Amino acid sequence: MAQPFPYTYYVCDCYDSKTKVSAKRSSQPPPADDEDERTFDPRNPRSNYSLYPLEHLLYCEDCQQIRCSRCVIEETLNWYCPSCLFEVPSSLVKSEGNRCARNCYNCPVCISPMTVNELPKDPSEDDGNGPFYLYCNYCHWSTIEIGIEFERHTQITHQLQRIANGGKPIPTPKEREKERERRRESEWKRKDDIPEINVSHDVDPEPSPDDTFAALASFYKGQIQASTTSSPFSPHDLDFSSPSSFSRIMNMYTSTSSKKTKREKPTPMREAASTFEGLTLHDSTTDSDAIDRIRREGWSITLSPAQKHAQPNPNIRFTSELRPIATLLRTKRGKRCRNCRHILSKPEAKITSTRYKIKLLALNHIPKLHLRALPPPASTPQPTFGSSILTPLPIQPPFDYDHLKPGIPTHFLLTLTNPLFDPIRVTLATPSTTPGKVHSRVTILCPQFEIGANTDVWDDAMSSTITPIRRGSVVGPDGQIQSGIEAGKVWDKGRNWTSIVMEVLPGFLDERQRPSDLSSSFSSDRGGVAENDGHLGWVDDEDEELGVDDDVLEIPIFVRLEFESDAMGEERVVGEDRGKGDKVKREEAFWSVVGVGRIAG
Amino acid sequence: MSRQAARKAAPKGEYIETDSGNKVSRRAHITGTANITLGGRTVIQADVHLRGDLHPTRASTRTDHSAKEQYPTAISIGRCTVISQGVVIRPPHRATGRLHEKRAGIGVEYYPVKVGDNVFVGPNSTISAIHIASHVHIGANTVIHPFVIIKENCKILPNSIIPAHMVIPSGSVVGGQPARVIGEVGEGWGVSAGGMGGAGMGGGGGNGEGPPMWVEGGDLRELVRSIK
Repeated sequence: MAQPFPYTYYVCDCYDSKTKVSAKRSSQPPPADDEDERTFDPRNPRSNYSLYPLEHLLYCEDCQQIRCSRCVIEETLNWYCPSCLFEVPSSLVKSEGNRCARNCYNCPVCISPMTVNELPKDPSEDDGNGPFYLYCNYCHWSTIEIGIEFERHTQITHQLQRIANGGKPIPTPKEREKERERRRESEWKRKDDIPEINVSHDVDPEPSPDDTFAALASFYKGQIQASTTSSPFSPHDLDFSSPSSFSRIMNMYTSTSSKKTKREKPTPMREAASTFEGLTLHDSTTDSDAIDRIRREGWSITLSPAQKHAQPNPNIRFTSELRPIATLLRTKRGKRCRNCRHILSKPEAKITSTRYKIKLLALNHIPKLHLRALPPPASTPQPTFGSSILTPLPIQPPFDYDHLKPGIPTHFLLTLTNPLFDPIRVTLATPSTTPGKVHSRVTILCPQFEIGANTDVWDDAMSSTITPIRRGSVVGPDGQIQSGIEAGKVWDKGRNWTSIVMEVLPGFLDERQRPSDLSSSFSSDRGGVAENDGHLGWVDDEDEELGVDDDVLEIPIFVRLEFESDAMGEERVVGEDRGKGDKVKREEAFWSVVGVGRIAG
Repeated sequence: MSRQAARKAAPKGEYIETDSGNKVSRRAHITGTANITLGGRTVIQADVHLRGDLHPTRASTRTDHSAKEQYPTAISIGRCTVISQGVVIRPPHRATGRLHEKRAGIGVEYYPVKVGDNVFVGPNSTISAIHIASHVHIGANTVIHPFVIIKENCKILPNSIIPAHMVIPSGSVVGGQPARVIGEVGEGWGVSAGGMGGAGMGGGGGNGEGPPMWVEGGDLRELVRSIK
């Protein structure tokens, strides 16, 4: 899910720094200024697994660390069908194969949910009892196309289990078992020395995968039993009370390796040799039939890989073999910290409830970073601009994050919001040039600042009248707001947030064009090529060529916080020091990645 | 709950504000106003079509004739919900009456649309859902086919087409054509960092200097306030 620019991702602490370094070395040459190995590289392939939007992150208060989906343990609270929203007891989940056993079905062609519709045979005799069918409202596929109709509009799963495509009834497992037994009997009678491979007597030439599995399973079970009945290690016939088996067990422990070799080798297992044992015979005529059919009816009767994959039997080829897909179940899950096993989130067990019993969000523990473009007042001096200084903002067109101008310094406002109830001191750090093939220069004008506590809203209402910094509204003598930007000073400040200015010099997509004019036709052509590369998903090996999303400007920012919090949380740990002071100094640090935008070609 | 018809005389502006704080654009196309309820502090932007005239007709036969005087609800929208530009909300319908019932004929029965609180509907979407719960974020250019049910805290990605009769369980991320559930929203969906708080922001909203005032799926009160 691509997020619109600008976005911020947060790096989880479980990110493995050791492998990162090696991966970086092998995959791409380190940037020129990369003397610090700890610099986070958002372009590293491994980074994909450690970057998360803030709302997906949890926070373990005991470990005092961010927890992502990789460093939590999930425990399933319950299963439910996303379509009918009924809870499925855990005992049934396995037997039904994680699928809804009610009337919830998805279209095998387009995965839309299907509805049960009535098909009155005779319009005049329409009494609501007519045959029913499953119908896809999106692609208009219906079970009529595979020749399946239902007698009732309820218990579709039950009915579907007994109807094969084309309307033929499927024998129940019991009947099939009987049939197998019968055939086995006849096989035994004919059996002389080797079980003969013979398909001619087969009434049902293509047993369903379930049948095959059941037959194979019973066959191998029989094989195992036959080969281990005499073995002393079989757990089934081990009688601990008998002295002979006891001596055998003692032998097992006392015997040396030389004795072990003496043990006779188990007789080799026989493989399934007939259809009732689960042998699937390949019949070359089915292949030629299939080819003939495709030749006759064209490709449209074949299935796409995705459609095949969604089917209970993924080996089918044709649309006539499709079966409606029972809806997959969904779960409600609680999450625990992988380190200390404390519960991080626990939703209420009821399906319809959306509340949480426990929810420890990273949102409430680490500051939120938000980037926004500062309207560039100096770069676009319009003739009418000077006359309307008082209302410069509405005139500005919305900033186009998808077309950052390379080589032109652009100012961005980075706003940090403090969710904590204590004021925090923040230190930001970023590599001066962004990692990746396009080197953009980044300067945080004010890397150290403070953010107020997340106190009551009304406190701010009182205090904001006293300390309005409002650098943004300061208009310089030359009529430019630019004068507000000063290194080492915050841009704006509120109750629990502080904005600072970040100067970004987007790099050139093509290093060769750096000295040349930006508006040359060559540059726009280059941009077009890069864009196309991105869409087609080509990854270029050459350093010169830009790969997918290499034109995206992402800035890694290291955030370090210092604050003094109440000792409440650590009372158990520092119980002795409680008398010294209620405040405990705490420190927290994390990497984040701000996606600024896409550099225009 | 106030009828949208109960608008007061307002100074000329983009929006007409009702007593309960609903903001309805003068350029919105609303038919059957009597059948539409807005919960309060809800924004209807320009070029929105609300088809309140497509109201259920069977209600009168079901209930007593005393209730016949009341207007049947065709569209009901909760509080702090934002309906962006170019959205069409059209109650879902289906054919009623049997084919053979010549005297009754084949009628079309409409069902009311219910939209919850703090729902954001992106520009140029078409909605025929029967129920959209609270804290749902619907992206731009989305088509929601008839009788869809969307539960709480869902995110519908832009350009999705949600097939008819689909039920979307709470906390889903939905996208595609046809749409399917492609993920789950994080635990922090709709939770705004640090409680936000609107004071001291100078009514900036999206244009202010401070942090963004609202998050997807969260409380949209500040967004509603910023729309003028």
